[in-house]
Amino acid sequence: MNSQIKEIHQQLVSKQITCTALVQEKLDLLKQNTHNTVNSLLEDSALEAAAKVDAKIANGEEIGLLEGIPFGIKDVYMVQGTYTTASSDLLKKYKSAYTATAIQKLLDAGAIPLVKENCDSFGHGSSSENTIFGAVKNALDETLVSGGSSGGSAVNVAKDYTVFSIGGDTGGSIRQPAGYNNIYGLKPTYGRISRYGIMAYASSTDCVGPLAKSIEDIRIVLNVMSGKDGKDQTTYASDEILENAITSVEGVKTVGYFKNFIESEAIDPIVKADFLAAIEKIKAKGIEVKELDFFKSDTLVSTYYTLAMAETASNLSRLDGTNYGNRIEDKNLKETYAVTRSENFSEETKRRVVGGNQVLSQGFSDAIYLKGLALRDQISENFEKDFEEVDIILSPVTPAAPPVIGDSLKDPLAMYLSDEYTVGFSLGQLPTLTVPQGTVTGLQITAAKRNEEQVLKFANFLKDTL
Amino acid sequence: MTVDILSSIKGAKPSESVNQLFDVIRNAHPTNNNAANNVNINAVSVSDLREDVVVKSGKIEREIIKENFPNEKDGYLVVSKVIED
Repeated sequence: MNSQIKEIHQQLVSKQITCTALVQEKLDLLKQNTHNTVNSLLEDSALEAAAKVDAKIANGEEIGLLEGIPFGIKDVYMVQGTYTTASSDLLKKYKSAYTATAIQKLLDAGAIPLVKENCDSFGHGSSSENTIFGAVKNALDETLVSGGSSGGSAVNVAKDYTVFSIGGDTGGSIRQPAGYNNIYGLKPTYGRISRYGIMAYASSTDCVGPLAKSIEDIRIVLNVMSGKDGKDQTTYASDEILENAITSVEGVKTVGYFKNFIESEAIDPIVKADFLAAIEKIKAKGIEVKELDFFKSDTLVSTYYTLAMAETASNLSRLDGTNYGNRIEDKNLKETYAVTRSENFSEETKRRVVGGNQVLSQGFSDAIYLKGLALRDQISENFEKDFEEVDIILSPVTPAAPPVIGDSLKDPLAMYLSDEYTVGFSLGQLPTLTVPQGTVTGLQITAAKRNEEQVLKFANFLKDTL
Repeated sequence: MTVDILSSIKGAKPSESVNQLFDVIRNAHPTNNNAANNVNINAVSVSDLREDVVVKSGKIEREIIKENFPNEKDGYLVVSKVIED
């Protein structure tokens, strides 16, 4: 199966390239790039690690599959000793004191981190424009947004600056930029990969996941990062997904899609036509396709944002400049907190924190927050029923092509509503993969909880079918 | 309490865009108005709780925590102000 990781591994082992030359080449590309994907480069540590890999190869020692493979990390992950800014003013000089579990597993496997990647500040955005490092420009057209919030990660993979990158997905933040830049991006089942060491946005839907150029690379990286972790008690143990388990589409007999997604007023006619054409090709392969009923898009988006804002208001309350961050002193403690937060949070982050505190406050909590929780339960129950009828749910990633840089910031409501196809699967905590086929921004493949194997299997089928 | 106080953000006001999202929820009719959270069960079972042990942080970790502290004077970490109320 096509795999950039395996290809590079082979080149290293056969001494066609050195790891140092490979890492240097990628670092040079990252330094010269004009897409604003880099928050900080990990140059010294990367070259040091590469030299060790070269020494092992020169000594005739065996190296692991991920050993020496250069990768990128969204700048919301703790990696000890590196700046971890969340693309924010508040944390622009903050250094990680420890390393996130998912990243540590990759380091233990020998992968080499090159870069902390630009993203929307604290994950708050769908365009990677809400950042102090400049808007991330789309890999295919620099006038367009990269998507978000893991925009820098998606562009780095699409441009081959990194072999794979690790993003974070709360409501679509891996899947949507993957779609906007024509690569693969996986949001695994909630709990499959430890969240320990990722800066919390909305803890009940935050997921760690890989972005890469091939299904096989997604599988390899997913297997390494998965597993139960005592530091995140929402994690569960999972089996390794084997390569030969995802090569045949056997077991996928019925595919469903949400009728109202396709009949939405917001969908671009070309995206709609392309999606329906993809459905016809799937039917032609003998797979049964069912139309499914689902919640209205505005209900999905509103439920997601109500809960995500409530959770981010709580999670970000710790950021007050006391122990870390860009503290701004004022006349008393409360004023110091308020000025520090007012001056250092972006407008979008403030909007979400204020919205969250609104729905959690007396009088609003019953009418909005608790109702939002009840709606999420119903959405999840709906998915459970759907997966009794179908093996896979297929959907577009976004209703339209990426917007021009600058447009999303002018209209926050439009930005929230553009997440209509991704947020439902986050609320359901389901494994969902963006594939770069089918529509201009790809397709999403979703399976029942913990069934990433089915998702990857169907992705392979689509690669050969569309 | 107003949202600017609740959020510790000076002059903060509810956003019109966000209020439109909340209105959708306000007008929604969930079949069950009490979230039982019986679908997404993520809590760990009491029989599977991790050991309650103290793990001492490493030297590098302690150094970075000190380095991140916003203010330092004569070897002491300086807090912003004393809590008055």
